[in-house]
Amino acid sequence: MTEGLFTFGVFFAAIFTNNILLTNYLGMCSFLAVSREIKTSVGLGMAVIFVMTCTSVINWLIYYFVLVRFDIVYLRYIAFIIVIAAFVQLVEMVIERTSDALYAALGIFLPLITVNCAILGASLFMVIREYTFLSGLAYGAGSGIGWALAIIAMAGIRTKLNIRSKVPFGLTGAGITLIIAGIMALAFMGFAGMITIT
Amino acid sequence: MKSYKFQQVFKENIGINNPVFVQILGICSALAVTNVLRNTVVMCAGLVFVTGLSNLTVSLLRQYIPGRIRMMVETLIIAAYVIIVDVVLKAYIPDISRQLGPYVGLIITNCIIMGRAEAFALSNPPALSLVDGLTSGLGYSYVLLIIAFLRELLGSGSIWGYRVLGEWWTNWNIMIMAPGAFFMLALFIWVVKGNFMKEKAEQGSASAEAPRAASTGGKS
Amino acid sequence: MLISFLIAVAAMCGLATFLAVLMVIADLTIGNYGEVKITINNETEMTVEGGKPLLGTLMGEKLFIPSACGGRGSCGFCKVKVVSDIGDYVATELPWITEEEKKENIRLSCQIKVKKDLAIQIPEELFNVKEYRTRVERVRDLTYDIKEVTLKLLDPGEIKFRAGQYIQFQTPEYELSSESVYRAYSCSSQPSRRDIVELEIRLVPNGICTTYVFEYMKEGDEVTINGPYGEFYLRDTDSGIVFIAGGSGMAPVKSILLDMAEKGIDRKVTYFFGARTTRDLFLVEEMRELEKQLPRFSFVPALSAPTKEDNWKGETGLITEVIERHLKNADNLEAYLCGSPGMIDASVGVLTKKGLPEALIYYDKFA
Repeated sequence: MTEGLFTFGVFFAAIFTNNILLTNYLGMCSFLAVSREIKTSVGLGMAVIFVMTCTSVINWLIYYFVLVRFDIVYLRYIAFIIVIAAFVQLVEMVIERTSDALYAALGIFLPLITVNCAILGASLFMVIREYTFLSGLAYGAGSGIGWALAIIAMAGIRTKLNIRSKVPFGLTGAGITLIIAGIMALAFMGFAGMITIT
Repeated sequence: MKSYKFQQVFKENIGINNPVFVQILGICSALAVTNVLRNTVVMCAGLVFVTGLSNLTVSLLRQYIPGRIRMMVETLIIAAYVIIVDVVLKAYIPDISRQLGPYVGLIITNCIIMGRAEAFALSNPPALSLVDGLTSGLGYSYVLLIIAFLRELLGSGSIWGYRVLGEWWTNWNIMIMAPGAFFMLALFIWVVKGNFMKEKAEQGSASAEAPRAASTGGKS
Repeated sequence: MLISFLIAVAAMCGLATFLAVLMVIADLTIGNYGEVKITINNETEMTVEGGKPLLGTLMGEKLFIPSACGGRGSCGFCKVKVVSDIGDYVATELPWITEEEKKENIRLSCQIKVKKDLAIQIPEELFNVKEYRTRVERVRDLTYDIKEVTLKLLDPGEIKFRAGQYIQFQTPEYELSSESVYRAYSCSSQPSRRDIVELEIRLVPNGICTTYVFEYMKEGDEVTINGPYGEFYLRDTDSGIVFIAGGSGMAPVKSILLDMAEKGIDRKVTYFFGARTTRDLFLVEEMRELEKQLPRFSFVPALSAPTKEDNWKGETGLITEVIERHLKNADNLEAYLCGSPGMIDASVGVLTKKGLPEALIYYDKFA
């Protein structure tokens, strides 16, 4: 029972209190670049959720059944990144074959995701914090949802910003996005205290 | 591009083509480690090392890498160097290594390194690529050091762990935390872009039509 | 110690091999689209290997769709009308497709993949497009930044084109580019000379193709081109003609003028050539010679920033101002423009103000 509660706690924390983008700063590059439009942000967000959840699970299995078993934990970076790269390429092939609509929505984002630090970061945090399988799964899914939430919210704000505000030249693009991200991070800090994860 | 001299590469990577505030790459780590100056220095050294050497390696191997698996090979090369850095740090400065946590490993996905490998090392000779890698790393480093200096000073009242601001100073805790990082970086970009980039942007839009216009006399 | 090292290497290799095998299997099964039939213009049918972008697939069958960027989605030249269902527009196509084109099902052939049987429609002229192996016969300087390149056709040995059309020049892999790129250049030679193609190439700073031409290519080298392409040719009417083109934009105009002189086409022609200073002027003697052969042709060079040393007695000012001065009205006129998008937009503006309908203004916008 407490295990289940812990897992749920991890899930909740990954979305709100330890949001992988707003607290751990991961996935900023594509976040800054893609968050202009809501439609593309949703596409990218969905792709991230899917890839992050699946790769966290696969990497958890590889970590405990291969790396730890053979005492080669220091090679985790290589192992995780090639798993992520292979997975993304496989998914791209499958989507391209089966669904034109899904490919049109997600397809172009997939190569971008391979180098998204959030994906690798999620796997790394998962093994550092020594999560169980279920918690690892919850963490991967939660981080993905948290990331998607942040980018979609950002897209919404930026769209509004484009219509109404006059941003000083020096802040256009990355500058104002970072400031908004900072304010969002502040807002999300309001959730702190609900759950504490070290 | 044939006459790209070392000087030009250096100048560009530090200034007008700076990875952090112009290309907006490598932001993740720029925000994560800059709350303590000492950690930042270690991170920057690691990044300069990896960028320089991976650029060199990719450039040496550029004739032999098959097109299809190009990105995978680059990633593996970068990962290898990062593992070296990670292991060295764990051995010699374990407490800093622990503080940096997964961010050392995340150098692999740092867009700067992959970006330079794709954009430069694949089509330039090894010596020049090495310099490009090192200078990109330097361009990234000085930005981080400035931000880290301010964040640690305002957030903990200290520089390099030594308390410099007296009792009267109330720490701006926000500076050590996420929002502070976002705001500091945004401020930095604002200052740089607003002052130095403005003329460049104005020049840029006027001369965008220049290539043919100069000889057709269509536009001044 | 050694054992743990060997285990590490073995485990990593094992993992990598497993993933590689997985990818290969996936490529052969999921990525394998088998053979696909493409129907062109309701008549020609070809059977091809599926799974690749349409542009590359057609090029593999020696059907050349124009492309300046070589399939990267950054030039918008490779548009093809797709009659059968091929799915929704991909995000990378949208910047290049207009609303009217969307209604016609026009797609960017470098961004769509051939996954099942499809039917397309392409202009008949494209069937005439061939790939030619050529040899660089002569390279000479026209100005400080424009070279005239004469290519002798080897195989096939002759090319049929309309004066004003362009070819695509293939830059080979070289130091600055690990893959070949295609760039479009108009032919400046007259169509009756079927065994050569003459080009005017202007150096673009850091340009992949022009750097190759200016710094690496030598007389005697072999070069691949394909063509001819383009809608920029003289329309068969009796109207007066206005040419506006500067720099290497002179190429198609020169080709048309030479063709007119040869065929004895007698129409009123004015050629406005815009440049900055006298060092941008070239082939002036050839133009004066053409003025003698074509009694109703006048060549009007205009400099926008002549220096004192130039001692320039001719027209001065921006080309748009010169046109404004010279052209009384747009009665019975056609205009042919070749140059940068900026210059073309400005010239179109001046011409429409004079009353020339946009439908009678023909141009090639080379960025």
